Amino acid sequence: MPPAIHPVQLVEVLRRKQLTPAIVFLTSRRACDEAISAFQRQEGSLPPERTQAIATVLEQLAVDYPSITGHPLMETVAQFGVAAHHAGHLPSWKIAIEELMRQGQLDAVFATTTLAAGVDFPARTVVITQSSVRKARDFSDLTVGEIQQLAGRGGRRGKDFVGFVMITPSPYIDLQVLSKGLTGFPEAIESQFVISYPMVLNLLKAHPLDHIEGILAKSFAQFQLNRRVDVHQNSLDTIHQDMRPFGPRVCTDWISQWQVYDQARRRHSQRRPASQPDPPGTAAKLPFLTPGRVIRVSKGFAVILRQYRSRGQRYPMLSILRAKGTMTESPAMMVNHIYDHVLEFTTLRAFPWCSPTTLSHLTHELTQLPSNLPVLPVLADEEQQNEESLTPVLTDEFACPTCPSQPACRKDHAVALRLRQKEKGIIKTIHALRTGLWLRFQKKSHVLHKFGYLTATSELTSEGDWARLIRIDHSLLITELIRMEAFAAIEPALLAAVMAGIAHDDDRPGSYQRMSPGLSTMLHQVRAVADSLASYEDPPLLRTDVAALTEQWISQPTLSWANLVRKTAMAEGDVYRLFARTIEFLSQIQTLKISHPSLAETAISAITTMRREVLEELP
Amino acid sequence: MTNEELTGLLQALPLRQLHDLTRGRVHRHFRLGKRRLIEVILSLPPESRSLLEVDVLKPKRQSPHQPSLENSPQPFVAKPTQKKGRGKAKLSASLEPPITVSELLDGLGVPTAQPFHADPWQIEAISKLATNDVIASVPTGSGKTYVAIEATRRALEQDQTVIYTSPLKALSNTKYMEFSQLFGADRVGILTGDRKDNAQAPLLIMTTEILRNLLYDAASGQIDVRLNTLGLVILDESQYLADPERGVVWEETIIFCPSQARLLLLSASIGNPQDLSSWLTSIRAVPCHLIHHQNRSVPLRAGYLHPDGVMVPFFRTRDITKGRGFTFHPETKRLLAQYEGETLGHRNRR
Repeated sequence: MPPAIHPVQLVEVLRRKQLTPAIVFLTSRRACDEAISAFQRQEGSLPPERTQAIATVLEQLAVDYPSITGHPLMETVAQFGVAAHHAGHLPSWKIAIEELMRQGQLDAVFATTTLAAGVDFPARTVVITQSSVRKARDFSDLTVGEIQQLAGRGGRRGKDFVGFVMITPSPYIDLQVLSKGLTGFPEAIESQFVISYPMVLNLLKAHPLDHIEGILAKSFAQFQLNRRVDVHQNSLDTIHQDMRPFGPRVCTDWISQWQVYDQARRRHSQRRPASQPDPPGTAAKLPFLTPGRVIRVSKGFAVILRQYRSRGQRYPMLSILRAKGTMTESPAMMVNHIYDHVLEFTTLRAFPWCSPTTLSHLTHELTQLPSNLPVLPVLADEEQQNEESLTPVLTDEFACPTCPSQPACRKDHAVALRLRQKEKGIIKTIHALRTGLWLRFQKKSHVLHKFGYLTATSELTSEGDWARLIRIDHSLLITELIRMEAFAAIEPALLAAVMAGIAHDDDRPGSYQRMSPGLSTMLHQVRAVADSLASYEDPPLLRTDVAALTEQWISQPTLSWANLVRKTAMAEGDVYRLFARTIEFLSQIQTLKISHPSLAETAISAITTMRREVLEELP
Repeated sequence: MTNEELTGLLQALPLRQLHDLTRGRVHRHFRLGKRRLIEVILSLPPESRSLLEVDVLKPKRQSPHQPSLENSPQPFVAKPTQKKGRGKAKLSASLEPPITVSELLDGLGVPTAQPFHADPWQIEAISKLATNDVIASVPTGSGKTYVAIEATRRALEQDQTVIYTSPLKALSNTKYMEFSQLFGADRVGILTGDRKDNAQAPLLIMTTEILRNLLYDAASGQIDVRLNTLGLVILDESQYLADPERGVVWEETIIFCPSQARLLLLSASIGNPQDLSSWLTSIRAVPCHLIHHQNRSVPLRAGYLHPDGVMVPFFRTRDITKGRGFTFHPETKRLLAQYEGETLGHRNRR
């Protein structure tokens, strides 16, 4: 089984079921063109009278649009009654196809899904072959609105009782998406308000600064933001309702008061250090409890082998050797007397803390000790004992511990605090929603002030006064280039070529073009400027091949359209659109007649040269 | 094939194969025993049954290739309806029986030419435009252009200037030609980025960007077309308001549109026309009247076309119902499962 229905068979089935004329939406331009070439390989054709009728219509149209004459697809259209309709074709050709379709002469038109809005002609049947469409280099599912726009072309008012939408599978089709699109309700539209540099300049030209916020508030964007504000406002009201029992108590702002008190209390309870200081008695003894010191524990004399602190023990510990010859661990506080007598020995770092011979030697010495050894008088520092009573009392700073509403505060605080935090968050959100547009406007006007189009008081400078007339994409780049005198005494061809590079935003590949050294230097410089402005405005693609193509079209006035198109891999329709957009950009420069007369002249002459042959056909 | 022949064939098949055959055709086939299953199959509607017969015969022919359209037995020959058995009645207790292809294609044809009658919503739109701004959010192809033309005619009769904008240059050109034929070439002008043809004409066609620029120029005191007599501004395809790149132009145009001019927004179906309408009411001098409906003037039906040329209905019901969910036609389900099995490879094959 083929992965998708063959276009010839598709049209055959539609014809047999009397479902023609039909619009077949395909994935790409290439798929449309391949469908047509599939017909060209076929035998058979329409009945001669229909072929004749189509040829006649095309001939009539060719009077108004000479570029239709000799179109390579003309015969195919007349012979098979099918055509492709996509952005790769010239507008005149598309007009011809639309006219044929309106007259009902064609059986099928293969169109791309991308340009559904541009397909402004009805048919009896719409054939959908896919559920996703390429948007900005990525495939995404068709929205309900788009599917209904596609399907909506099915069924001609006054010519059909019913319209049909035929779904035919191809790989990657998702019927759920299509069914939902056919049976569902279209999506809500969202405002896409963006503040551009020309908008700021034009608004400030016509209105004083303090009116601007009001004008921005009239936008659909703000309207929709206000809708969201209303939702937040409602939840804010509920929160206020909930907060009513937590109104002012003994202190007006008891929530923060309690919070600070609570935190202080917690900090207090945690103030006790992990290791408490030793009791004063022990602390005083410690410096004397060194290895070799003779002490008295409850069972008689002992000598200290080492002093240490152990993680599990609260008090400093001693390893001691008793007179009996046993070795034990004992807390330092268990020491009864410290004698003024030290037994000399060399300590070791590991058990048994000295050599075994020393050990027996020490035991021996202990037994030899007289019973009336002088005791070291150790005095404890009694002042430290009072420290406990000196810890600050919270009542000094806070009234809370003695406050009559303390129990209520303690109970309600958790709930009240959460409510108040929520309230603060919502108030912040509402503020952001209300002032967002205005802040964005200010940001843009700040940039314009930095570049010298606006004064500090947000009035237009002389530069801003002409810059506001450039109301196209990349306006900042173009005005900056003009201010740098990059276009001083420029050739019309060069100006148009640079504009084409800035204007063209399509990344379909073209093919390498020979260009003049002047243009290549110029493009290099423009790219440098564009990159330096990148933080204020997205840089254009600045494709060299489209710039070179435009340069050739202007600098060689005898170059015919057919020869020009032959030079590039771009589709005819794309070249047309490139030139149309370039002319649009040039005509914006043309409006600078007063401030930059010679540049405007150059633009006019470029436009005049560009408008020939195909580009002259349509207004 | 008669009932007896089919029964004999089905009896000969193992139960497992019977289940495979009835998948997508019979509801809860796995619950039924062999005898009941055959009973239910015999009571299937004629189309499903004839397709099933083809499938029953298929393994016998030992030829896995797709039968071409001409050679294959015509699947859609209407057979005399079988007597409805008990099984059938039980099956379709909850659902209407799925429609047949002949029902789907029923009523195809060209209506005889009738004198044009405006739809009520069109009349409503035109009459409301005298005092209100109007938004018409209606399905594609239900006659928005008629409203534009009639509203223009009325405004021109009152010596007002009319501006008509569309998002695409190609659409502007089409409308320019259409309006030139209707109102006479001398009364229609077109403004594009660089060219002004007949800019003093009472009816001006342009893209929305051009109108926005005109309005900016007017706001800063340089008027070059007759904006003071502007009586009507028609914004076609105004769902472009949501276009990520160009949507802002529509907003600017609406905000700066002179208050004496009426606005007519023509839009394809959108989800929240009420929002748009209350926005217009909140910023414009006159209230906005919203016309919003989902009814197509020509009913639409959906079909499914299999890559081998077989056509079946797409949904169980003939007409596409909005907002009530959907159920695929059992044949569509089966064919799609088959399609997926064949195109997705072994991994997804059952």
